[in-house]
Amino acid sequence: MSDKKHIDRLFQENFKDFDAIPRDAVWKNIEVQLNQKKKKRRVIPIWWRYAGVAALLLMLLTVGINYFNTDNEPQTYEIVDTETNATDATKNQDRKSNGFEELNKTNETITNNNTLKDNNLNDVDDAVVNTNSKNNRNQKASENLLNDNIEPSKVTSVAETSASKNINESKTNNYLPSDKKLKKSNSLIEIDDKTTIASNEEEKNKAIEYNRFDVLIDKNKIEFLNNIQKNNTVVAQNESSKGEEKTETIAENTTEKNTLTIEDAIDKTNDITEKEKLNRWSIAPNAAPVYFNTLGEGSSIDSQFNSNSKTGDVNMSYGISASYAVNKKLRIRSGINRVNLGYNTNNVVVFQSVGLSSSSVLRNVDVSTNNNSVADALTNGNTETLSIISGEGFNANNAPESFATDTSINQSLGYIEVPLEIQYNLLDKKLGVNIIGGFSSFFLSDNKIFSEAEGGGRTFLGEANNINNVSYSANFGLGLNYQMSKKIDLNLEPMFKYQMNTFNNTSGDFKPFFIGVYTGFAIKF
Amino acid sequence: MSLNQLIENCKINDTKAQGELYKLFSSKLFSVCLKYSRNYVEAEDNLQDAFLTIFNKIDQYKNKGSFEGWLKRITVNTVLQRYRNEKVFDIINEDAIEDVVVEVDEDNLSIDYLLKIIQELPDRYRLVFNLYVLDGYSHKEIADMLKINLGTSKSNLARARQILKQTIENYKTTQSLQSL
Repeated sequence: MSDKKHIDRLFQENFKDFDAIPRDAVWKNIEVQLNQKKKKRRVIPIWWRYAGVAALLLMLLTVGINYFNTDNEPQTYEIVDTETNATDATKNQDRKSNGFEELNKTNETITNNNTLKDNNLNDVDDAVVNTNSKNNRNQKASENLLNDNIEPSKVTSVAETSASKNINESKTNNYLPSDKKLKKSNSLIEIDDKTTIASNEEEKNKAIEYNRFDVLIDKNKIEFLNNIQKNNTVVAQNESSKGEEKTETIAENTTEKNTLTIEDAIDKTNDITEKEKLNRWSIAPNAAPVYFNTLGEGSSIDSQFNSNSKTGDVNMSYGISASYAVNKKLRIRSGINRVNLGYNTNNVVVFQSVGLSSSSVLRNVDVSTNNNSVADALTNGNTETLSIISGEGFNANNAPESFATDTSINQSLGYIEVPLEIQYNLLDKKLGVNIIGGFSSFFLSDNKIFSEAEGGGRTFLGEANNINNVSYSANFGLGLNYQMSKKIDLNLEPMFKYQMNTFNNTSGDFKPFFIGVYTGFAIKF
Repeated sequence: MSLNQLIENCKINDTKAQGELYKLFSSKLFSVCLKYSRNYVEAEDNLQDAFLTIFNKIDQYKNKGSFEGWLKRITVNTVLQRYRNEKVFDIINEDAIEDVVVEVDEDNLSIDYLLKIIQELPDRYRLVFNLYVLDGYSHKEIADMLKINLGTSKSNLARARQILKQTIENYKTTQSLQSL
């Protein structure tokens, strides 16, 4: 008789120590798929990660830009209102012109004071001062127009006309003393002045429509008025001090000064408007494929590999940079980048040996203990060591078949890069061209050496012990940028970075460098 | 080298470390695959998929809990993924089956035979039986893993037990008939 038993118990007891060894083919399949995946994985998921970072930055920035734009919008609406409420605008203008009149009066009083002081001067002098004061008034009229205008093109055109007019007037001034037909010429000038003022006022009315009563512009006006007052006093002082000199020179001096001050004023307005236009700061997320290799014949790993061929790895660098425009031509920029570098030393022979002495270990590599086979260590207590020698001058026919030839040593390094660069604009159009120079500091974050068999098998050998934690590079590059909008530029920057002290103990003539083509977009504000 | 070191090396895709890991755990995980799969060939396929998932996700293993448990969970999930979506034809009314204690005569039933009759169970019954009886999951957990109702899990288990009992009894009668 057999016992009765719960069916669960029957299965539980039987399967408690159930082990089954799969066929070898299973591991072969896994190995093949791992190698295939490894090659694919190196490229695609990295891009995904960068795409994610870029998308996040883009989102943050668009949110930021929208936020800033909403701040500005109420003001623009007000501007639209001025056009419809023309009466309001003219009222404002009236108030403004009143202010100017007051200022004009003060100017006149200043000049009047001067004329009082200059009572000892002859009639001609008096006349000159009068004409000058009128000149100044004319100036003011044109400058009012200047100030009321915001658009740079108008500013320059108006400025030109006023400047030319002033020059004309200065010519008539020059003739004044010699002709001695004072009253006639004065009246002529007065008529001239009136017409110019009248025409200016016409233009002014037109300009009112375009008026924006911005604070900045008001400031400009005050600045101008101050300048004019100063100039006037200077002119007056000149006249009083040089009162006994020839009247011609006085006239010339004053007119010259007047024209100069107008030109200065125009320059200043241009400067100010330009300052408003120039976006000094910009932020640019970027990503780049980087190619790392060496210039000279040498090895960072061991002297026996000096003559082996080296092939660079194409890796990725990504990060963000910020730049500040010193002026229209020059930008200073910095940032932070994650950069992976790697290269292969080809034609290396790797073989496994038991109990080899440490002398066969590579000079610049701290070999990790993992080369010991775990399973063997567990079962037999054996320790195995991987030995690596250069395959150069090694006759493949003589080599035992068990040797894995066609292996390469892959050194991969990861850095955090902090560049400091100067960018000089050669062409500043829709498509801009610039040259870039500077240096980068590198902070080591990753340091690994693998041996890679031709089939794709990868064995971790250890860490390089000759890599400086902080190193530098000299950077040169050419930048192209395409202006998408006022705020956004697309960048393409091929850069060459020559590394200075990456390794502290290399064999032969090992000069590492890397080339990266940095792409990204810059947001200016 | 410690297991932790081996895991670390697998995380950086060291082919050799991956081979070592396979050597250490493949037989344990293959037994899981055999129990949960329909046959030997599918078990091999599942083992392969499980190891690829393991090497893919090993950097997510944070040394919390037993590593073998983690490997087993991945393996079971890999198999579940494969069979979860394949429909079981629930011809019978699941609620009608009561959870009765099934008893069998203990005899020298070989493990190969027991494995065979588990594999021959319909997919859902096999999965529920394995999860509940052999791997100690609760009905609640099973319901979550297979995305079925709690009641369905219970009735699936009862049905699996009955089928297994019936199969074993039939097998014994044929054997005793043959021996006559």
